[in-house]
Amino acid sequence: MNYKIKYDVIVIGAGPSGVSAAINCAQKGLQVLIVDISHNTGGQIYRAPPKSYKHISEKKLQENKTQEYLSREIKKNNIFTAYNHTVWQVSPGFKVDAFNDISTIQWHAKNIIVATGTYEKIIPFDGWTNPGIIGLAACTVMLKSHHFIPSQKIILAGNGPLLLLVAYYIIEFGGEVEAIIDTSSKFDWIKSTVSLISNPKNFKDGIKWLTKILFNKVPIYSNSMIAKATQHNEYIKVKIQNINTGKQESLVTGTLAVGHGLIPSTDITRLLGAKHIYNESKGGWIAEIDDYLRSSLDGLYVTGDGAGISGAIAAKDKGLIASLALLYDEKIIKEKEFKIKTKKIFKRLYKYELFAKAIAKLNSTPPQLLNNIKDETILCRCEDITKKDILEAIDNGAKDLNQLKSWTRFGMGPCQGRTCQYSVAKVVAEELKCNVEDIGYLTGRSPIRPVPLDRAIGEFDYNEITKIEAAPL
Amino acid sequence: MSKTDIAIIGGGINGASTALELAKNGLKVTLLDKHSICKGASGVNAGTLTMHMTRAQLIPYAKKGWELWMSTNKWLSKDIDVEKRNGLCLAFTEDEEKLLNERSKIRKEYGADIEIISKKEALRIDPNINKNIKCAAFCAMDGYVSANQTGYAYSKALKEHKVKILNNFEVTEIEFSENNYTILSKTGEKLISKKLILATGVHLNKALELLNIKVNIKCLPQQLIVSERMPKVMDTVITVANGKLSLKQFKNGTVLIGGGWPGIGSAEENFTATKSENLIGNMRLACHAIPKLKRSRVARVWLGLEAETDDAMPIIGELPDFNNAYIIGSIHSGYTSGPYMGKLLAKKILGEDVDLSLFDIKRFL
Repeated sequence: MNYKIKYDVIVIGAGPSGVSAAINCAQKGLQVLIVDISHNTGGQIYRAPPKSYKHISEKKLQENKTQEYLSREIKKNNIFTAYNHTVWQVSPGFKVDAFNDISTIQWHAKNIIVATGTYEKIIPFDGWTNPGIIGLAACTVMLKSHHFIPSQKIILAGNGPLLLLVAYYIIEFGGEVEAIIDTSSKFDWIKSTVSLISNPKNFKDGIKWLTKILFNKVPIYSNSMIAKATQHNEYIKVKIQNINTGKQESLVTGTLAVGHGLIPSTDITRLLGAKHIYNESKGGWIAEIDDYLRSSLDGLYVTGDGAGISGAIAAKDKGLIASLALLYDEKIIKEKEFKIKTKKIFKRLYKYELFAKAIAKLNSTPPQLLNNIKDETILCRCEDITKKDILEAIDNGAKDLNQLKSWTRFGMGPCQGRTCQYSVAKVVAEELKCNVEDIGYLTGRSPIRPVPLDRAIGEFDYNEITKIEAAPL
Repeated sequence: MSKTDIAIIGGGINGASTALELAKNGLKVTLLDKHSICKGASGVNAGTLTMHMTRAQLIPYAKKGWELWMSTNKWLSKDIDVEKRNGLCLAFTEDEEKLLNERSKIRKEYGADIEIISKKEALRIDPNINKNIKCAAFCAMDGYVSANQTGYAYSKALKEHKVKILNNFEVTEIEFSENNYTILSKTGEKLISKKLILATGVHLNKALELLNIKVNIKCLPQQLIVSERMPKVMDTVITVANGKLSLKQFKNGTVLIGGGWPGIGSAEENFTATKSENLIGNMRLACHAIPKLKRSRVARVWLGLEAETDDAMPIIGELPDFNNAYIIGSIHSGYTSGPYMGKLLAKKILGEDVDLSLFDIKRFL
């Protein structure tokens, strides 16, 4: 691809939402580029197996089939693709900087659709940074995209439907789930059933997963969490605690996979200075959007779970809404078409929202998880910042997240606070007796992902370096 | 409504240093900030303590500032990392060699202990630098501070000396009557003070407007780049002849690339954005100076807003036609000399005989 190519629209993220938005724009004649860090479409939910895997396995998962469908659709609609490209910066105007295996590149676009999905949420506990402890969502990537189980024996902990999905796939691929540690109670699940039925396909999947788990007699610890995990030579010792009674029990296992839900990705919208709001049931901080997924900045649209968590099926429709808004704003479709089309989609989305709300409840973070964070527990694993470090800075007058970042270095590591911001904010709000929204969010900083310097600078002669005015003497 | 002896508007390095010195001398000081202590340029600058980038006329002040930074455990706090390093200023071409000679000579005349050294000598001092340099300028008076810790260190010290800090105090009005200044905030807070100091950094023109004084203050949005932690790749603080690079490796292994390459930003909108071509230019220059840097990855880029007057010299001293009103700011490489400049202004306010004529605001009125 050439340097500085202009597009009408750049879609960042080739998951279900990004793909549906890209197709809709391309079908109306816009020049569309879709960019993704992975080597193909699919996003995290339908992640494509690595290209080098020639004979991945006999099994063809439904996720893999959906992914192939998305890629075919992209090709059919003559959408420009930049797979294997990591977007590291988006600046006003819009300029999108990305890098691949060799170099960096900059594209220009009049409009940006952000479809960057979510990150995994893990509420820290003593020992969570030990080797052998992985994220539940990371585990789904190993399973769906690599058809690989992290170890023969595994304990799954956290909350929400991901617990069941991962358990199902591990058993399917011949592994042994030694226990499921669920912070929700059985009653929480039953309560959610009514709403979950609103999305029959997902509900059916859930029943399928649960049946397999029950058939395999996997012990389920409801109302329970991991109090502590310690790493030994050959195994991990996991201390399980009942949330209500405080009763503890220890188990040993090969791998512990933990996940407490998902957090919308807001790196790009924060970087561009768009407005954000806090919505716990949508996953935390999200870009402020109108009903048609327009952000507070002209030409910037946000779709999929990154605009608030509502799941993969809704993501596709959200992609349609965002692209219709864009087409209408660009005066490519008339108001009538815009209204009719979006109305139809909103009807469907309403149903998914009920489902999303039920999932959000199962995904919510019980206070006991946060209370389990000890003074010595590491919150920011990039910089080894403990809860005690944060409390000390607060004691000396720090009052908001950005100030705490600068004073303690939390969030300054390669992950830029993606992993720890949620828990640190909760700890700070608790200490300052205020709401999470009162202490702000981390200012967006480039690069969104660490950029290898050699690729950023490329091959150059000394006299080719941009000339700027000398400093005054 | 509260009362104080002296109100300082702006909690950056200048305001905070002045506040600390005044409080140590027994004054009741209140420090106001629109956001929080050292959250602006003072907390996000590169923290370079070099003579190679200092304006010649400011060298005597920067030297004093450097000495203060090297002894922060005595007067500020032990909670801030300060490192003494040798400073090397590199010339890669013949033109740069000429420029380096000229500039070093003038800085030397103003008291900087800088000497031009050969390529061989420079490579002995820091074997990591590019072998293709023409020559270098050497100065033993160099080093750096972890600027992100500035706010933490000053907050602790100010608290200890009973300085009252009011965060999120955005001043919207200043009234003068009966020998008192009444300062009003956006949220309706009110503070009465006998004396007033304006130290609002890049917003200095805005603060002056509240007193109906018009001075042009340029806002320079400058980009900074920091790498991930990496094994040791350099021993010195590196700068270049035209002053557009500062480079050093912190104790934790991260390398900070600075030099004041412009980005996008405005003081009023409180928004900054990067300019890719300038990021890449800055990175290229850094990797040219220290080739091993290429192995690293950029972890973060951010911007700081530097204030500059029309002659790029500071404004420090009394405000004419006002009683007991002072100003401090727009100090080029202000982080290095800030603690000393603050001390000077405090001395002036306390009645000592201090010559600040070089920085008099009258030259702009």
